[in-house]
Amino acid sequence: MELSVIGISHRTAPVDVRERFSLSDEQVRQFLRAIHAENIFEEALVLSTCNRTDVFFVSAGPRDGLGYFIEHVRKIKDLAGPMDTSAFYRHSGQEAVNHLFRVTASLDSQIVGEHQILGQIKEAYRLASEERTSRFLLNKLLHWSFRVGKRVQSETQLGHGSASIAQAAVELSQRVFSELAGKSVLFIGAGQTAQLAARAVIRGGVHRVIVANRTLSRAQEVADDLLRQLPQAPDADHDDEDVEVPQEIKCPALLQMFPELKTRSQAAPSAGSPNQLEVRAIAMEEIPSVIAGVDLLISSTGSPDLVLTCKTVGDILRRSGRPLFIVDIAVPRDVDPALGKLTNVFLHNIDDLNLLVARNIDRRRREIPRAEAIVQDEAGRFAQWLDSLQLLPTVRLLQQYFETLQKGVIQRYGHQFKADQGQLDLLTQSLCKKLLHKPLTFLNQLPQSAGASENLAAIDLIRRMFDLDSLEK
Amino acid sequence: MDDLLKVANWLLPLFYLALLIDYGATFFMAVRVQARSPWVVAVIAVHAAFLVLRGTHAHDGYSPLVGQYGILSVIAVSMAAMYWVLERIARDRRAGLFIFGLIFLFQYTASVFLPTAAPEVAGPWWARLHILPAALAYTALSLGGVYGLLHLVAQHNLKKHRFGLLFDRLPPLELLGKMTWWALLHGFGFMTVSIATGMWLAHSGVPLEGQGPKLAAKIAIGSFAWVICLVAILGRTAGKWPMSRISLIAVAGFLTIMALLVASATLSS
Repeated sequence: MELSVIGISHRTAPVDVRERFSLSDEQVRQFLRAIHAENIFEEALVLSTCNRTDVFFVSAGPRDGLGYFIEHVRKIKDLAGPMDTSAFYRHSGQEAVNHLFRVTASLDSQIVGEHQILGQIKEAYRLASEERTSRFLLNKLLHWSFRVGKRVQSETQLGHGSASIAQAAVELSQRVFSELAGKSVLFIGAGQTAQLAARAVIRGGVHRVIVANRTLSRAQEVADDLLRQLPQAPDADHDDEDVEVPQEIKCPALLQMFPELKTRSQAAPSAGSPNQLEVRAIAMEEIPSVIAGVDLLISSTGSPDLVLTCKTVGDILRRSGRPLFIVDIAVPRDVDPALGKLTNVFLHNIDDLNLLVARNIDRRRREIPRAEAIVQDEAGRFAQWLDSLQLLPTVRLLQQYFETLQKGVIQRYGHQFKADQGQLDLLTQSLCKKLLHKPLTFLNQLPQSAGASENLAAIDLIRRMFDLDSLEK
Repeated sequence: MDDLLKVANWLLPLFYLALLIDYGATFFMAVRVQARSPWVVAVIAVHAAFLVLRGTHAHDGYSPLVGQYGILSVIAVSMAAMYWVLERIARDRRAGLFIFGLIFLFQYTASVFLPTAAPEVAGPWWARLHILPAALAYTALSLGGVYGLLHLVAQHNLKKHRFGLLFDRLPPLELLGKMTWWALLHGFGFMTVSIATGMWLAHSGVPLEGQGPKLAAKIAIGSFAWVICLVAILGRTAGKWPMSRISLIAVAGFLTIMALLVASATLSS
């Protein structure tokens, strides 16, 4: 059984090289279907994001995964001419496991600690499961990697704090408000950073979004865009339990009894869903009339002059008494610094956000050794588990289990029988041998009857059925 | 029983110290921010049992609400209980370090000066029932003082753009403001009940604990606390005062009341 990975990433190639090997979801499906049909590899999974394309293979013996992938990419993307594959890396066995765990832990991401990668791996796993190229080993490996990702997120501060200006604006606002749910946000200007921040706060579950711009039609355009791009699916960094993929539970009766096992991902609508959110466009002149009801204001116009001054909104804000959090991303600044002196106004500008981002990135760097230690620990455990799925040790453990069982029965009930203890011993031994005969024959015939993945699955099942791992310990 | 009470009296500050360390770990290491600790409930239960046992052991069915250090101990346990409820509502234990710091201080002081046997008092036990809402009011004001202080610190940090440890670890400003507000509202409610029942008892001719200047000091401090809460509530609701001003009143009120209570205790002893 050979686990390997071939791939290309932001560490090994620039974007113009990476994009040649990047695959859309549909192209990934085509590739996986080909693998399933040709049966050269037993299992496969493709992770294709803007920063990397990784292909994981499981095969009975060593195979040229890279050659196979390139050949199919040519067909799928209709590419001609020579393809430089020098930027590809190859890992196999334990190194492949380490690689996946590092990727899942976001240690190999462009922005170390970002959460998106975990969602992307879950999506890749979903595709592989649907195309039936993820079976026993990849199922186990991927679920293990989700656990690694979660451990790193919960036990280290690798993913803590924002690493972009848009996220920093949201992070700062969370120092003021317990939660964004139910809050009103005013965006002034239609810049790209403001739109990114808008999406981030919408994901936070705000109740009302107002977009103000010098031209009302442009404000309306941005408002429509925001509505169109509302998150329709649960957030990318959801739990692995939310991934609707066929796992070990395939029993129809069980699924009938617990339908939530297959429909868990269709649970409650995500925050910021269209039926909860109110998006509105206004002209700049209307700002004073709405600002008293706003909790968070993000401004990023290209205006050379101040857009919000103490003269226009100072009195309104003073009277409202309600806390207003203002993030001024624009350069030159949009918001009069004097507004920040009002007791209930918290004004931050681009320099504050940059400072916060720099601090967070530095902190993430310091957390890398702890995250690496978790990855090594989990990779070691996975290797230990994989080693345990050897046929001979399992057979020996099974025999030991029945021997212990037989001795235990004799010890407990032997004194109740008047018959010769030797005969009783023989009788129970014979019974155990007969009980063991079928499972042992089944295990011994495995290499001839099925593929390597199925063999491992069967051995794993036997080990779990008789709790052989605890016996081994 | 006396030995048991003596041991419990010295164990209580240690228990609170252990909780303080636990909350300190949450604050400084940012771990278990939303965890629910069963130990808080356990310590509250032990503390409550101690107060009841101490009272009933000394006097059959006796109320423990007597003596300034007994009441300080009651304030400590009710602060822990109130904070535990607030923590469950807010799902955030980051402020616990500061609350349990004060609780530890209260209980340590109480344990040092608390006589093992509850002192003799005149009059029926129910004549002291008005002390319970007063103790709860002081508890709420203590919580309000701590939350108000944290609110002011958090606000100052945000205003000055200081992204240090306190910026990271303190709960959001809105939550701190809400906690301060709730504490003042509850403080006002409890103190109103206490003053009303106290006046009714005095009017009925029931002998109240303490006499002369001691009683007058208690009434003055209670009334001052009540006025502080009233000013804050009216300012917020009618005057739309910003939360920072309410927090300032909560902190100043709490510090003044503590100073007055200490002065009163020192002078009376």
